[in-house]
Amino acid sequence: MIVYLLKRLAVLLASVAAAGVAVFAFMAVLPGDPAEIALGVNATPEAVAELRARFGTDRPPAAQFLDWFGGLAHGDFGTSYVTSSPIGPQIAERLGVTTVLVLGGMVVALIVAVPAGTFAAVHHRDPLGAAISAVSQVGIAIPAFLAGILLVFVFAVKAQALPSGGYVPIADDPAEWLRSLLLPWLSLGLVQGAVLTRYVRSAVLDVMREDYLRTARAKGRGRMGALWRHGLRNASIPVVTVLGLQLATLLIGAVVVERVFVIPGLGDLLLNGVAGRDLLLVQGVVMVLVAAVLLINFVVDVCYAVLDPRLRGAR
Amino acid sequence: MSGRRLNLGLVTGGALVGVVVAAALVSFVWTPHDPTLVDAAGKLREPGGGYLLGADKFGRDTLSQLMVGARTTLYVGVVAVGIAAVVGTPLGVAAGMAPRSRGWLSELIMRVNDLVFAFPALLLAVMLGAVYGAGTLTAMIAIGVATVPAFARVARAATMQVMVTDYVLAARAAGRRGPAIAVRHVLPNIGSVLIVQASVSFAIAILAEAALSFLGFGTRPPTPSWGRMLQESQELLFSTPRLALWPGLAIALAVLGFNLLGDGLRDHLDPKLRSARG
Amino acid sequence: MRRIGIWIALGGLLLGTAACGGGSGGRSGGTAAKESLSVGFVAEPANLDFTSTEGAAIPQALLVNVYEGLVKLDQDGRIQPLLAEKWDVSPDRKTYTFTLRKNVTFSSGAPFTADDVVFSLGRVRTDWKLKIKSQFDVIDKVDKKDDTTAVVTLKRPSNGFLYALATRLGAMFSRTGVADLANKPVGTGPYQLGAWKRGDSIRLDANPKYWGTKPAAGTVTLKYFKDATAMNNALLTGGIDVISSVQAPESLQQFADPNRFTTVEGTTNGEVVLSLNNGRPPFDDKKARQAVRYAIDHKALLDTAWAGRGKLIGSMVPPTDPWYEDRTGDYPYDPAKAKELLGGKTYTVKMRIPNLPYAVASAQVVKSQLAQVGITADIEPLEFPARWLDVVFKQGDYDMSIINHVEPRDMGIFADKSYYFRYDNPAFGKLLASADEGSEQQQTDDLKQAAKLLSDDAAADWLFLFPNLIVAKKGVTGLPQNAIAESFDFTGLAKQ
Repeated sequence: MIVYLLKRLAVLLASVAAAGVAVFAFMAVLPGDPAEIALGVNATPEAVAELRARFGTDRPPAAQFLDWFGGLAHGDFGTSYVTSSPIGPQIAERLGVTTVLVLGGMVVALIVAVPAGTFAAVHHRDPLGAAISAVSQVGIAIPAFLAGILLVFVFAVKAQALPSGGYVPIADDPAEWLRSLLLPWLSLGLVQGAVLTRYVRSAVLDVMREDYLRTARAKGRGRMGALWRHGLRNASIPVVTVLGLQLATLLIGAVVVERVFVIPGLGDLLLNGVAGRDLLLVQGVVMVLVAAVLLINFVVDVCYAVLDPRLRGAR
Repeated sequence: MSGRRLNLGLVTGGALVGVVVAAALVSFVWTPHDPTLVDAAGKLREPGGGYLLGADKFGRDTLSQLMVGARTTLYVGVVAVGIAAVVGTPLGVAAGMAPRSRGWLSELIMRVNDLVFAFPALLLAVMLGAVYGAGTLTAMIAIGVATVPAFARVARAATMQVMVTDYVLAARAAGRRGPAIAVRHVLPNIGSVLIVQASVSFAIAILAEAALSFLGFGTRPPTPSWGRMLQESQELLFSTPRLALWPGLAIALAVLGFNLLGDGLRDHLDPKLRSARG
Repeated sequence: MRRIGIWIALGGLLLGTAACGGGSGGRSGGTAAKESLSVGFVAEPANLDFTSTEGAAIPQALLVNVYEGLVKLDQDGRIQPLLAEKWDVSPDRKTYTFTLRKNVTFSSGAPFTADDVVFSLGRVRTDWKLKIKSQFDVIDKVDKKDDTTAVVTLKRPSNGFLYALATRLGAMFSRTGVADLANKPVGTGPYQLGAWKRGDSIRLDANPKYWGTKPAAGTVTLKYFKDATAMNNALLTGGIDVISSVQAPESLQQFADPNRFTTVEGTTNGEVVLSLNNGRPPFDDKKARQAVRYAIDHKALLDTAWAGRGKLIGSMVPPTDPWYEDRTGDYPYDPAKAKELLGGKTYTVKMRIPNLPYAVASAQVVKSQLAQVGITADIEPLEFPARWLDVVFKQGDYDMSIINHVEPRDMGIFADKSYYFRYDNPAFGKLLASADEGSEQQQTDDLKQAAKLLSDDAAADWLFLFPNLIVAKKGVTGLPQNAIAESFDFTGLAKQ
């Protein structure tokens, strides 16, 4: 297990480094010289050269990359060319917000999906199970931003029960914090929950058809009892995988939902960076998002190995 | 009993997808009106007359916009899922089939895969858009590339399951070579999984295109796109909610259609399920 | 210190996601202010330094509120004293002697004296990086006579000088307060920067050391929205008190209830210009430009794209300027004439627009109408501000664009042939020069002629004058009827 972990960790670090190269190379293609852009329309060549030297963009790309990537390792994301303020603290603050948004959405999704999916599987021959499947199908078909717009319309504008948007830090007012996040969590979580319900249902269905479960039932255990004792662990493997896969979707959803609800998260920062041509900022945000997904992948794999030792050998 | 219900899903899904496809195809030769023609006199025209679903604030016919929007949607979905399936499936099968002695191959494929997976469609679309200018093409490529890992993973996982079945073990013992096994045993057995994946991916692609258009990183105006129709309808949500209703409904029904179709096919094709039922 | 926080938060994200463990949330700084007014805006400044960064968002937030000039513009477009109590103009109209207000200090505590006037006006030439700084080329020298007297000598008489002094160019900076203009503005104004949450809001707090009448609102929060609907919803649900500029005019009927909301509708300085690249084919040909002007049904455009709010103008002069004339009759809607001017030829042109609501909406109408006469306009929305400024404004790589030119009295930009219009007509430059030097009457006459010349030449097309549409909660007073200065003046705002 330790060996596996170490090996997997090495792969993770290599992937992060490779992602760093990819992101850096991609952003280097962007047209426009940051120094020229920063100085505006009628800057003198000397001024541009001087600023280039200050930004360090006059050095060879490899040196620039090592500088940037080395900085990342201890959390230094550099100083924005556009706003001349350090990028790290901005990302840190936004990452906190997005993390809360995504996690809350995931929790809502799980609360919806696990019982609904299991129920739908166990009752897959009953109208009730079919009804749950049908509802989840419709849920999947609704874009998160549309769900968000509808929720705002109903709960904020019509009922005036919740704020339409904005974000209140938890340190300022925990109750307002909760209220400001409820609708975004629901818009993200209900749609993801519907997606997840499908997977939970089919995973549980698959497990229910396995021989060992039939055996357990033949030995006189109840359907739920047998499922509980033998099935959930096995059913959780595909669900954990899907959960990891869903995270990318959830991040996309978060970006759009942040826009709908005016939440200052990472997605919002990214779009601002693109609009403002803040190269280093975009680079930093993309890198953090990518690193997050890679880390999640890592954890999913490790969970895999813990849950199903057979798979460890296969790698 | 259950067999009939599942067929119902297949039929419903097929019908919904059929409507979308038909609308898109017809739009090439005929729409009730020019979907991009601005007509100030017909601003926010109520449904009726030659305008079945009414018109938007530019006086553009909603039905015509929906039809051409279906074209945009299918176009993006087909290209994106196509990229993902054509690239992802062989990678996944190769990784899943690689024997222990060539574990590095499997490992390499899946690590690169994980790396690509770490770039969600929106990130790619925003980055591509920043370099080349946002548009339908960048959206399709971004969604397609971002969907490759899902295909590769599913294909690999399914392949690994197939590889430990008795018949594959027998075939290997009989000295059959990899490609032959892949074609004879692996692909037919993972086909149903891939179809489910394709349907889910198509649905996700539709949703992603809508989200990108909503953010302004998708199809450029005035080419009709359901996502942008939704975005443009927002300021009129209070006074003229039908402008949001139709594209919203179109997206939901198209996604529902592809999901039902995929599910129906899965149940129809999966031998394991059939025997379990039988 | 925050740096490590990133990776900790990342750890939280990953722990929480997988089934293996539970994660904890992140946090965010800042405190909420009490007794504040909160105003919604669309464009957030990239930084707070309007001496080196183009764009209207920075002076909109900071001028008059944080930075003050010697003079300011009132609601009717007249020059009023601010940091200068009074000024005398020499008979040859070349020497301005300003008597400065006493006991004025910067928010840093430094006193404001004639030295700061010399410093600030001198800095425009040496350190500013904006196109508009050329308006100060007319200044010969700035001298300190004593601590409260500053003398500005011009190279020639200029009608535009005092006016330019009322814009951001005339803002007074402290000699010790320019180290970090992008983040730490230091001015003499009634407000000082409280906090800036990037991508979210700027909070201005009342300056306790302010020399004049204290503003009614103790704090003003400028809240930035990228989405017009989100801004509307924020007002509907009480998240903000004022929408500074409605970006979704069709939605106005949501705010029709007079028991809940107040609506102000006036004019601005903002000409929504359909820019044509005079420097390259096809629009280097006057006939092609004229064809565009005839091909556009401006009334239909305003009605569909901007809910009929705003005013049709026809040249580069807003109705609040003394030399305004209605020039909408110069090119009445006449697609047949447009086709005739094009001589049966068809064109495909690049329409590169900023991704702003008014531009995206107008572009679709323009495209549809131009298609009727044989011009295919390919719309390409570019992220505003950075990408649009880079590609269109700086490189001039476009055939057609749409942008709201909000600077006051900005007809002069057409006299600069390196400006992205690439318009080059020496007669126009001469008219502007003589207008600036001549008497008030001559200024008015010359500028009327200049506006007519621009229109005749079809140097661009003027789609409409952007409306000043403000919606506020009932009880908010002091809202500006017309937005004709560069700043959104918060000093008069109050909540009952």
